[in-house]
Amino acid sequence: MNKVLQGKAWTFGDNINTDLMYPHACYTLPEEERPRHTMWANRPGWAGQVNSGDILVAGKNFGVGSSRPAASNLKGLGISVVVAESVNGLFLRNSVNVGLPVVSCPGVSGIVREGDTVTVSMDTGKLVNETSGKATEFKPLPGFLMDIIEAGGIIEVLRKNGQIDSNPL
Amino acid sequence: MESALRNEWYCVPWKVLLLNIVEKIFQDHSENPVQRVEPGDIVNVKVDKVIMLDIAGLHPELLNNPPKKPFDRDKIAMIFDHFVPAPNVEVASGVSKLRKLAKRWDIGNFFDYGRGGISHTFAAERGWFLPGRIVANTDSHSIAAGAYNMLSRGLGTPELMQVICTGKTWYIVGETIKVNLTGKLTGAAEAKDIFLRMAGDMGDIPNTNIEFGGTGIASLSVDQRAVITTMCAELSADFAVFPHDSVLESYLDGRAEAPYRPVTADKDETYTLTSEFDMSEIRPMVAMPDHVAGNTRPAADIHGSRIDQATIGSCANGRLDDLASAARILKGRKVAKDVRLIVTPATQSIYLKADELGYLRIIAEAGGVVTNPTCGACMGGHMGLLGEGDVAITSTTRNFKGRMGSRDARIYMASSATVAASAVNGYITDPGDILGVNSGE
Ligand code: SF4
Repeated sequence: MNKVLQGKAWTFGDNINTDLMYPHACYTLPEEERPRHTMWANRPGWAGQVNSGDILVAGKNFGVGSSRPAASNLKGLGISVVVAESVNGLFLRNSVNVGLPVVSCPGVSGIVREGDTVTVSMDTGKLVNETSGKATEFKPLPGFLMDIIEAGGIIEVLRKNGQIDSNPL
Repeated sequence: MESALRNEWYCVPWKVLLLNIVEKIFQDHSENPVQRVEPGDIVNVKVDKVIMLDIAGLHPELLNNPPKKPFDRDKIAMIFDHFVPAPNVEVASGVSKLRKLAKRWDIGNFFDYGRGGISHTFAAERGWFLPGRIVANTDSHSIAAGAYNMLSRGLGTPELMQVICTGKTWYIVGETIKVNLTGKLTGAAEAKDIFLRMAGDMGDIPNTNIEFGGTGIASLSVDQRAVITTMCAELSADFAVFPHDSVLESYLDGRAEAPYRPVTADKDETYTLTSEFDMSEIRPMVAMPDHVAGNTRPAADIHGSRIDQATIGSCANGRLDDLASAARILKGRKVAKDVRLIVTPATQSIYLKADELGYLRIIAEAGGVVTNPTCGACMGGHMGLLGEGDVAITSTTRNFKGRMGSRDARIYMASSATVAASAVNGYITDPGDILGVNSGE
């Protein structure tokens, strides 16, 4: 994976929860249709506007909620990285395990407006708003987690280790 | 959060490293012997048990890529809880595949419809939750297990697959705050209200652990403690633990599936922060719609808000205490004409006990619907979803927009007593008003 991610920012507020990202209806839809319902309750229509490589910038407590595969929906839409004021620990795990980078960056919502072009350097922990010229820093993800992300998620790691059954259920 | 204090201890070689409960359990389970664990570290730990749920049957990533072999079949349990019984063909087909998997792996601890209950409430009942343990479960409210002086937290399904293969997982060690509970609950206030009050005052605390203490905890039953720890998921806490004491000891007596070793925090352990709540001052509370942390108010403040549906249930509040509380309020009363009341016990044994004690009959006679044990409406799966424009009050765990059905519904969250009282009046009501314990205030 490219460690310097650049894309157009979508901004969200505080307490964006997993149920908004992965509405209940997703559970029973064909896998490829699920991402289209992301943020159905709080921002209907948004999912259809996201382009591959876009960046999601959010407020505090991002991803509070359940273990449902909310990060998979964001990844499925093409979001390349989530940058939030603070991130729920379960969301972080789920995100890493499906190969979607997510970082906590206190102060980010103050320097990014929707539509700005943002560059996020996963290695150095630098975030630059190319549109306004403003910049800030965040603590890069530990190497242990970056390794899982770079492998494409935990299932890929298991597959590589020969731990997946070739007989689906 | 600052951890300078802690580092100072290391610099003084003759001081013994002080650890809190969470850190001690991490250290005990660490795959490689570690000298110390401290906030910010990643620890690789061995787990004592793994719990898999019916909801895994809706995860194609698992169904298409099942783990070849569990690390230890005796340490894996499968419990069907979210969609019991299957509400649609997709769920029915998904869980059938899991039944096949249980056979393929030869899992003994398999609890199908009518035999178990909501996973962590049921696991506690079975005596699987023991001091010092780490249990892996996908459910985000697994944090409940902290009431039993142990650790569990939500994990994703792909991650659970890894734990099933290896028996191991990792945690990032968070800072720990101490919450001291003093005094004793009075009037119509319940354990849920303690949490709602905490949630209002503390707000969200991502990546942080809570250790409960204080002179008041001895007055709380293990079930009441579990209500509080379950709900701490809504603060984004990683773990929320209670110490071991005589209350827990008697709960585990004759129930524990194995011997256990209680975990105590070192005496002088310093916490990042200490807060205190006097339980005797806590009144019935309500979380306003959409989110929990920093969004709660006394029920009396929103007295009179009209409701269409009232729900009692969930892993947190589908307990015997909750059904008793509902029955106490509903006895000799009726659910308001324009309100639907739905009551969902958390486990099969709670259901049976509530039946024996006559609670289910009282609820039904009052015009309430009693369902079989399941997560049901809590996660918008089945058993009473909300339609457009509905206003609900629920004693379940989450009030997120769209969670229980339509995105245009509004969800208030409260204790089971507050929900039952509101069902009787047809509007949000402090249960103390109905029980006559609010006079003189
Ligand atoms: S009752 Fe609700 S919160 Fe508890 S496990 Fe079920 S869906 Fe999750």
